[in-house]
Amino acid sequence: MKILEHEAKVIFKQSSIRIPKGCIIGKEDEFKSYQKKLAELGPDIVVKAQVDIGGRGKAGGVRMATQETARETIEDLFSKKIAGLPVTRLLIEERLGILHEYYVSITIDRAAKMPVILFADTGGVDIEETAKKNPAALRRAYVYPLLSDVPQYIRRYLTGSAPSEIGETINRLYLVFMAHDALLAEINPLVTTNEGVYAADAKLIIDDNALYRQGIKENRDLTGRERLAEEQGFSFVELDGTIGVIGNGAGLTMATVDLITNSGGRAANFLDVGGGASRDRVSYAVRMLGEIPRVAVIVVNLLGGITRCDEVAQGIVDAGVTQKIYVRLAGTNEEEGRKILSEHGYEMLDTMEEVVTAAVRAVS
Amino acid sequence: MIYADKTTGVIVQGATGRQGSFHIQLMNQYAGSVGGTGVVAGVTPGKGGSLVHGIPVYSSVSDAMDNHEATAAVLFVPGPAAGDSIMEAADAGIELVVAVTEHIPVHDVMRATAYADAKGCRVIGPNCPGILSPGECSLGIMPSHLYRRGDVGVISRSGTLTYEVVHELSRAGIGQSTVVGIGGDPVIGQTFVDVIDQFSEDPLTKAVVLLGELGGNLEEDGALRAEEKDIPVVAFIAGTSAPPEKRMGHAGAIVSGGEGDARTKIRRLKENGVPVASRLSEIPPMIKHYL
Repeated sequence: MKILEHEAKVIFKQSSIRIPKGCIIGKEDEFKSYQKKLAELGPDIVVKAQVDIGGRGKAGGVRMATQETARETIEDLFSKKIAGLPVTRLLIEERLGILHEYYVSITIDRAAKMPVILFADTGGVDIEETAKKNPAALRRAYVYPLLSDVPQYIRRYLTGSAPSEIGETINRLYLVFMAHDALLAEINPLVTTNEGVYAADAKLIIDDNALYRQGIKENRDLTGRERLAEEQGFSFVELDGTIGVIGNGAGLTMATVDLITNSGGRAANFLDVGGGASRDRVSYAVRMLGEIPRVAVIVVNLLGGITRCDEVAQGIVDAGVTQKIYVRLAGTNEEEGRKILSEHGYEMLDTMEEVVTAAVRAVS
Repeated sequence: MIYADKTTGVIVQGATGRQGSFHIQLMNQYAGSVGGTGVVAGVTPGKGGSLVHGIPVYSSVSDAMDNHEATAAVLFVPGPAAGDSIMEAADAGIELVVAVTEHIPVHDVMRATAYADAKGCRVIGPNCPGILSPGECSLGIMPSHLYRRGDVGVISRSGTLTYEVVHELSRAGIGQSTVVGIGGDPVIGQTFVDVIDQFSEDPLTKAVVLLGELGGNLEEDGALRAEEKDIPVVAFIAGTSAPPEKRMGHAGAIVSGGEGDARTKIRRLKENGVPVASRLSEIPPMIKHYL
């Protein structure tokens, strides 16, 4: 789950990473209620939309202002959409006297199976551009995941001639990364000022599988329907086509969506019902898709040694949706399943290609 | 076959749970049908002394190891405790852990695989269906009736997609040497590269089907290793129509920061001379070419 800048900065501060003085305001807050806090930030300020997108600066989500132009800037940003997203909260910060900008991020490298730290002497810009234009400015180091700190020699290698406080900040960011189950921890730019090193921006993404121990109850990244599906133990992703898809197992469900696309159709969704596709779960899944207006037909593609086809068939019948359903089932009790489906006017086909072909033909 | 055979004694961690006990039964049915050793003991902390389908349960892996000959463990422990269980198995001297468990925090996987590695223990998974060598052994949850013995190896990040392909291969008269589900998480123990290395030492395996999906670039690494080892490979990559930044069921199946989208992956594989099937039904005829 993506953590917004102002929330990430609270976490950074707890780990002794210096952040600019600032305050967070909501769209509904009256100017008077935060006017005093605003005045404490000094003459020059930065107003930053708390929207969860990359390239926020370029999209107009970060504005420079002064105490005099603050109100106007705030009202203007609240009235705008940034990259299509409404602005409901702003982080207003003191403007730092920046001497130099750096870039640092920590992610997990799948091949190395370790955290990897990326550091660049030039921050504040798109790191992929830096990598292309000036690859020498970018340094990369892996940290063995059973270490409790980033070793000094790695800090020296990464930071080169940068002040040593930069190396300490990288280590603190690593501690945040490890303690908060992060998939990404990034500071861009990490800046030096006469008062020391500051995280001018903050990005943090927490592993969805670890939200339970990070005190996060609800995954904000999911749409309402996706959250509902998650409660059922389903994996669900909304797409924009007309053919509903239910499968078991992520790979097979993805391959079904791909086959629809390759056959000239468009899938309305990805829905993996997971293991043990029982009557109730299948029925719930079918009804869920049946309620989506753009779904014209539904493809059910379930395969498994222990999936009972008669149960699945009964679940499909129970759902009683109006859309036509094309079913492919393989498992135990296949014949009983086929019988139940045909008695209720549903068609059961033998292969994944057959169901997909039939569904694509029906909508085209 | 690779990783395990008929003689491999297996411990099941998380033996008394619904999944664990169900699959102990299935694995031992399979072991019985091929004359193999199968599951010799179960482990559930606090449940030592009980029995699951006639198999004795111990409270720790080391207790089980003191009383039984076992070199492999299959893990059904719930996500929050699974990383710990991998380390426990490695510490007790288990050489191969098959982690079926889904939803393990990725930091736990990172630490546990590093720890296991330091102890000389291989980890398959997590979030995987395990391994099955037809006629030899089943460690995990694969539906054995779809499999038949032969000379094609299969490596896959997915469960049911693997069964679908195995089913197609078997129907086309193409048997399998070992089928390995390496798991759908971003960090996994044995990767495509490691499994290719194993297959390269296996006299039975003549060609390998590589079933990948969006996310990361471990498929490309595996294909390169196969070329080095002179093993013919046919690949299939799922997720060509997945939107960016959305997790497609598997924690590892996500295009993030522009990395790992399925079309790029397919293009890179083809550039390296790897035949890539665009539909599953093309795999059997493509692999037959190398047999």
